[in-house]
Amino acid sequence: MDRHLLPEEIDQLLDGEVGFGTAPLKAHVRACPGCSAELESARALVRELEHLPHFAPSLEFTNQVMAQVHVFVPWHVALLDMVRGWAPQSRAGRTVAWAWAGTMAIVFSAAAVFALTRLDTIVFAVGLGLERLRATGVGVLSDATTMLFGDTAAHVVSQAGTIGAALALLVLLVATALAARGLHAVAALPRRR
Amino acid sequence: MPLSLDLANLPDADVAALARQGRESAYRELVRRYERPVFSLIYRMVHDRETAEDLAQDTFIKVLNHIDRYLPEFKFSSWLFKIANNVTIDFLRKRQLKTVSIEGSPHAATRADAEATSFDVRSTNESPLEEIESRELGSAIEQAIAGLRPEYRACILLRHVEGRSYEEIAATLDLPLGTVKTYIHRARHALRDALAHLRE
Repeated sequence: MDRHLLPEEIDQLLDGEVGFGTAPLKAHVRACPGCSAELESARALVRELEHLPHFAPSLEFTNQVMAQVHVFVPWHVALLDMVRGWAPQSRAGRTVAWAWAGTMAIVFSAAAVFALTRLDTIVFAVGLGLERLRATGVGVLSDATTMLFGDTAAHVVSQAGTIGAALALLVLLVATALAARGLHAVAALPRRR
Repeated sequence: MPLSLDLANLPDADVAALARQGRESAYRELVRRYERPVFSLIYRMVHDRETAEDLAQDTFIKVLNHIDRYLPEFKFSSWLFKIANNVTIDFLRKRQLKTVSIEGSPHAATRADAEATSFDVRSTNESPLEEIESRELGSAIEQAIAGLRPEYRACILLRHVEGRSYEEIAATLDLPLGTVKTYIHRARHALRDALAHLRE
């Protein structure tokens, strides 16, 4: 090559282009101090550009952006994020949590299997319990009715059956509420004076 | 599946996909990754910190509010820089329309009219923000970059500060590849000349 490099050829070498045409350019640079200096000057500029810093915006930048961004969170994503929030962050903590969850799952599964195999016993026991509860409730209601309204009223309620007992209970509750309201009104009288 | 999302190690496309699913942490991660490069590019284009921050915010708001339009086969950063460049160029065009000549109105008929419509830009007091701007953009090379035409400036910054390839810059700025190479070549030439003069 019997001329100096053109600016475009300097750029070609600067960009590290490879190919058939770059070999003569590189050979010329090796032999020509002027073009070598030109290429080195261009490289120095590129190095300076590549080392320019990134500037940081204000500390509130992200929050200010997010305040104007519409984020629609589907319910399943919100639920998953909530569960992730509860889960321990450490590996040991997650191991313990998984072990506990596994143990509870086994215990509940065993209890469910046991209950299914003893279903008739469970139904009988529940029925027996409900019957006893009913008998206790009737006894309490009967005693309350006798105390408040006398033996005759208690006898009428016991003859009326379940509906009669429910009506009696309702009357009892209304009477209690009225009595409480009356007492409250009486207690409030001296304060108004 | 990890219990906690390790967003910092995910590629941009995956984070963008999580953002499309409605995860606010993914939105914040995208802002965290690119706030500095985007702000720096715009800051060097407009030379005003407050304006640069406003334009950078506008960029992210536009991108994140339309995250559903992002196509994963393209680079997220290229799309982001394209929006940033468009927002900046729009601002510079509007500012150019509103610019008042410091030498007086171009419609002034006499010297007296020109003097009457000119104004003195000398300021004796530099605000804290201006002080920061002077410090950040006051070096010889920053001044030289500021002297470039906006289109040359955008190309040279994307090429050497952001490390983008010519093809990416062409896609980002919607320019032919040959035009990008020409702009970068001219920008390098102008910078070398400007630095040679500034350092004399």
